[in-house]
Amino acid sequence: MAFNLTRRKFLQTASLVAAAVPLSKVAYAQPGVAKVSLEPKGTMGDTTVVGGLCEMCFWRCQLIGKVRDGQLMKLEGNPKSIDNGTSICARGNAGVKLLYDVDRLKYPLKNVGQRGAPIWKRISWQEALDECGSKLKAIVEKHGPQGICVFPHGASAKYPMHYFERTVGTHNVSEASFFQCRGIRDVAYVATTGKAPGEFVDMANTKVIFLIGSHLGENIHVSHIKAYIKGLQNGAKLVVADPRYSAAAAKSDIWVQIKPGTDTAYLLAIMNYLVTNKKYDKKFVAEHTAGFDKFSAAISEWTLDKAAKECDIPAAQIKEVAELLAANAPHVAIHPGRHVSWYGNDFQRERALACLTGILGAYYVKGGWVPPKNPKLGKTSWAQQEHGDEHNLNVSHDKKVHPFNPPGTPTELIRDCAISGKPYPIKGCVIWGQNPMQTIPNQEKMKQVFKAMDFVMCVDVMPTDATMWADILLPESSYLERHDEIKAGTGRIKADDKEPTQFIAPRMPLVAPMFERKDQVYITNEIAKRMGHAKDIPVQTLEELVDKTLATANITLASVKAEGGIHLQPGQSGYGVPEDFMVQLFSEEIAAAGFPGAPTYIAIEEVPAGFARLLYGRAPVHTFNRSQNNVWLNQQMPDNPVWLNDEVAAKIGLKDGDIVGFINSEGVRSRTTTTVKVTPGIRKDAVYMYHGYGSANPLMSTGVGKGVDDTSLITKIAIDPESGCHGMRNNFVKLTKDGKVLDIPA
Amino acid sequence: MQYGMIIDLERCVGCHACTIACKAEWEVPVEFNRNWVHRLGPSKVGNELASTYYPGLCNHCAKPPCVEACPADPVEMTFKDTQSGKTATLAVAATWKDPFNGTVQIDKNRCLGCGACAEACPYGARYINPALVDDVSSDGKADKCTYCMPRVEAGLAPACVQTCITNARIFGDLDDPTSEVAKYVVKGAKGLEPKDGAIGPNSRYFGKKKDMTLLFQDHTPELADMGSVKRRAMMAAMVKPAMRKARDLGLLGLAGAMLVKGLTDKKDEST
Repeated sequence: MAFNLTRRKFLQTASLVAAAVPLSKVAYAQPGVAKVSLEPKGTMGDTTVVGGLCEMCFWRCQLIGKVRDGQLMKLEGNPKSIDNGTSICARGNAGVKLLYDVDRLKYPLKNVGQRGAPIWKRISWQEALDECGSKLKAIVEKHGPQGICVFPHGASAKYPMHYFERTVGTHNVSEASFFQCRGIRDVAYVATTGKAPGEFVDMANTKVIFLIGSHLGENIHVSHIKAYIKGLQNGAKLVVADPRYSAAAAKSDIWVQIKPGTDTAYLLAIMNYLVTNKKYDKKFVAEHTAGFDKFSAAISEWTLDKAAKECDIPAAQIKEVAELLAANAPHVAIHPGRHVSWYGNDFQRERALACLTGILGAYYVKGGWVPPKNPKLGKTSWAQQEHGDEHNLNVSHDKKVHPFNPPGTPTELIRDCAISGKPYPIKGCVIWGQNPMQTIPNQEKMKQVFKAMDFVMCVDVMPTDATMWADILLPESSYLERHDEIKAGTGRIKADDKEPTQFIAPRMPLVAPMFERKDQVYITNEIAKRMGHAKDIPVQTLEELVDKTLATANITLASVKAEGGIHLQPGQSGYGVPEDFMVQLFSEEIAAAGFPGAPTYIAIEEVPAGFARLLYGRAPVHTFNRSQNNVWLNQQMPDNPVWLNDEVAAKIGLKDGDIVGFINSEGVRSRTTTTVKVTPGIRKDAVYMYHGYGSANPLMSTGVGKGVDDTSLITKIAIDPESGCHGMRNNFVKLTKDGKVLDIPA
Repeated sequence: MQYGMIIDLERCVGCHACTIACKAEWEVPVEFNRNWVHRLGPSKVGNELASTYYPGLCNHCAKPPCVEACPADPVEMTFKDTQSGKTATLAVAATWKDPFNGTVQIDKNRCLGCGACAEACPYGARYINPALVDDVSSDGKADKCTYCMPRVEAGLAPACVQTCITNARIFGDLDDPTSEVAKYVVKGAKGLEPKDGAIGPNSRYFGKKKDMTLLFQDHTPELADMGSVKRRAMMAAMVKPAMRKARDLGLLGLAGAMLVKGLTDKKDEST
């Protein structure tokens, strides 16, 4: 029978099955009896709990929780926040579904199968901690502290990372946020200006927003996006250089459809044009830069025409952008980017961005690069002990291998050492909140690292592709269930306030942890006791750690809680160039280290015939792989369609929605498939997909096998020589359909 | 008064916060959404490339076809104007348009779960929530965006508006010319009126010309096949007398109910 009313259901109704419903509902038929509510209550009447600090990503928006009968129903932006306000993004809103994800780690687990093909057995915390402590201790005794490598990520990983680095004494720490993400940006700007740039561009008050590859809108950080949209609403012009018509490009005034990897040539041409035509900020250059002459000479080869050819864009457009920047300088926001580990030539591109900002005089001025004057907080953690550089893989013959490395040791040096055993064995691996299978390129190499270990331990809230490689897997309390790190920043209470206000927001739990989940201070301290470091333990609880830190600002957890979860205090304007601020246009330091002293373009490998360059980026509803198993977020974007140029698609016979796999230039095939998105909005020589999909861990019952894992196809490793960070966009793919390999036409 | 929502596509970045906040606020089942965000393009619009978003939700239409489609027996309901205190009593089916605030609402207790309203909506803004069952419907209940009336009545913004990270969603009274939403309408904010339709959608969009062109070209809906809607509603109406009997039997009390349950279970096995 039609209309979704099956015969069976019709009979059920007709035969009075309704009488079988609970009496409370039957009673509805009686007049005067209260109706059973089929309406959800909404969260208006729920208990508000303050002090939440989001960690669906690293931006740390301030939250409140709506709690009903002990259950967290909803997360909202804390109305007291002068950062995100009452807004939180899709991921922030979906934190509830991370908290109650049925697949979350609940108990300590021991792998009684193989690494990579685990069989999990529930064990007690006592047994788990004894195992971790004794195994790691044995490794240190046999091989030294350098025999342990650490892959940390996130707020909870800081405390254990400090323990292994400062107390145990290994240099072999690889943070994905540095070596596969923003480290290059930070070190290039430090080498140029002395400051890590953050994303401190004053977009809200600028006249031009200049983005190289930053896809704001697909890449969502609430207060950052608020400033971006405010700037656009105030009439700022938007220039976006991207091979793809990104979310930002769609809002742009000028879209520069640049050939991948040539951004530095583009920036050099803009700077050369500004210098040659005397359209730079002469006063700023005279007062706050060094090496202008050498710099000018070094970039002089980059004429508009030369760059136009290299970057595959019109010379007139380069000039148009240069003129636009000059006309609006110094009120121009040259965005330093965030994930910049692209091509292995990225230090130079970041240098070029820092120098462009300099010759436009766009530091510490309205609309330019303006670091906020944030509250000063002391740090509480493990005390630094002296361990020397003898076992620092980044130091060879008293010289640094990658002289401008971010904190930690470049990942590839650690992996090569672990696999080869040279110059020393690395036999223990601690993974804390990171998923090195999907952050670090070349998964086979990562597997070899795990296989070379005597012991692998992993701490996380969720199963990931990395947790499959653990011997011991420990369940951590999530950001909603523990105290933790403190977000300190600057904002304005009212948009038109003259002076900024500072805020301090420590993380406080919104609900109690369930099952046997524990926080990082408990886990680390228990391991430290078993490794013989009981006397070095800096705090007994996470709460104590936070309170000790807050004490340096003369506040306490209790006082902040009473203030609604956020402490406010008067702030100071970030405008005004510090007298000693200098931009090294030509850096003698970089030249002395054996690298080009002026920003220099280094060409990357061309796309081989028949292939397309694999580009990847952010999905607005996901934080890489971390949120893939979240049922709400998965439902919004269950896979990662591959963007394919419409003319290319027509030539190889692919339509929108076709299901395809991939094979890369090294013969590696994708494990799974995804759909095709046919669009004129991408260059013919590139394809694009969201990063972080295609999880392999079957314990992620929602996320497993959804879409394609871009990292699995990133097998060719590029290393940025100055910083030792990875470049991950030098891989080339063909599409496959029904087992057939499709060549990408030129 | 007519509540309406403006979605400013110049501000919207397509982040889906609206959709997820709503899911949390109203316990929307995972597989459904009361509002949604579709990314459009990049596509050619004339000689330009364009890409924007379709953040959709119930349009609380001036002439809502969903309301007309509801086969539930009308009952008299008294509505109150929150501003003037005036009241009005109307005979309404299980879904109606509020005579004072202009929102379209559902009485889930009387909803037959037939899905006629969902089929009648050209925007796909309604779904049948199968988790909501009672003696009136074992198929679930129609559900959709309420413009967050319970929140609005409590003095709060709709959940999607509160969380929107760029203030791209603006809620207010379209009939009040001083309201921000009305000003947007003057500036050119438009609803997605169906082809050949005049149902008056009250969720409206504002954006760059090429983005509006892309949105209207890709998402101007067709009116539903009202013949099919009517057949669905008719079928549901036919079942109703049996339903009423069922309710009356409920008065027999628990013993009777259990007896009937036993009978029914047996019948189940044989069908």
